[in-house]
Amino acid sequence: MSHGHGSNPLAHPEVQMANNRSYVTGFIVASLLMAAATVLVSGHLLPPFALLLAITGCAGLAIIAQVYFLLHMDLSEHSIWNTVALIMFIPLFVITIGLTWWMFSQLYLRTMPMIPGMPGMH
Amino acid sequence: MSSAAEKVDPEKVVLWAGEHEGHDVISTRTFGFWLYILSDGMLFATLFAAYGVLSYAHSYYTGPTPAQFVAPWYTFIQTMALFLSVLAYGFSMTALKHGNRAGVINGLLAASVLGVVFLGLDIHDVLRMFGMHITPWTSGGLSAFYMLTQVHAAHIFFGLIWMLVMIYQVMRKEFTEEVIGRLISLRMFWQFQAVMWVFIYVFVYLWGYMS
Repeated sequence: MSHGHGSNPLAHPEVQMANNRSYVTGFIVASLLMAAATVLVSGHLLPPFALLLAITGCAGLAIIAQVYFLLHMDLSEHSIWNTVALIMFIPLFVITIGLTWWMFSQLYLRTMPMIPGMPGMH
Repeated sequence: MSSAAEKVDPEKVVLWAGEHEGHDVISTRTFGFWLYILSDGMLFATLFAAYGVLSYAHSYYTGPTPAQFVAPWYTFIQTMALFLSVLAYGFSMTALKHGNRAGVINGLLAASVLGVVFLGLDIHDVLRMFGMHITPWTSGGLSAFYMLTQVHAAHIFFGLIWMLVMIYQVMRKEFTEEVIGRLISLRMFWQFQAVMWVFIYVFVYLWGYMS
């Protein structure tokens, strides 16, 4: 596990973890999921709420595939701290978006009058 | 530990490692840059939050909503350009693993060209919308839409500049720890833009189109 000065930097595990099969798998999985989401939405193939759930599922799976196959996030000795940082990042990301959205949705519920000529609420 | 200490032979004890283990430059920089990328993710979180609160019907007032100007299949082609660019960058990193300089440069060139295609499609889309008088100053909802999508495009722009710098460095320099560290940092940056694009494509373009 020594990769100090003098050893070949190309032998570093961060370089050696590159893997074409993994990159192609990540690409195909993410592309198929995005194509599926596009087909569902452009054809309005589901009722709105089911459609939202379906495309959310596509996005979630595509992101897991990219994070695992492309960004090499796993529990290996070399990558574990990258994975830990990512796992700790997810609640920050969700809370920032979720709480902001919740606060404003509550505000709008209590304060927004309907504006004539406005498209319907979604 | 105490039993080991009792067995120390003063004549043969090794006080320090024979080989200097050194500072693992690539691992340290890669982890540091990964933390930077995650803080970049928080920048996107604030813009997603702003878009979330500014994508209600009243946010567009009586002006156009994404349902009227988003073209899902056009933006899907943009998605493919970005995903293929990330794939080409991956091939470049596999070439690096084998010390194949030409492979690294070809992969980086392909990734740059596809990145330019992504950016060109984005600019074309913005010009199309401006031609329809759908501008950031039309409504709060459109300000948020433009801000989120164009901040992502700006990331792609700066990633492309970085990629050109790396092509030059790979052509001119050896595969040193510094050059390899930069290539890995750019790999993570580029892949992370594709991850953020999945959120933007699904929750801004597609969800906006169906709303």
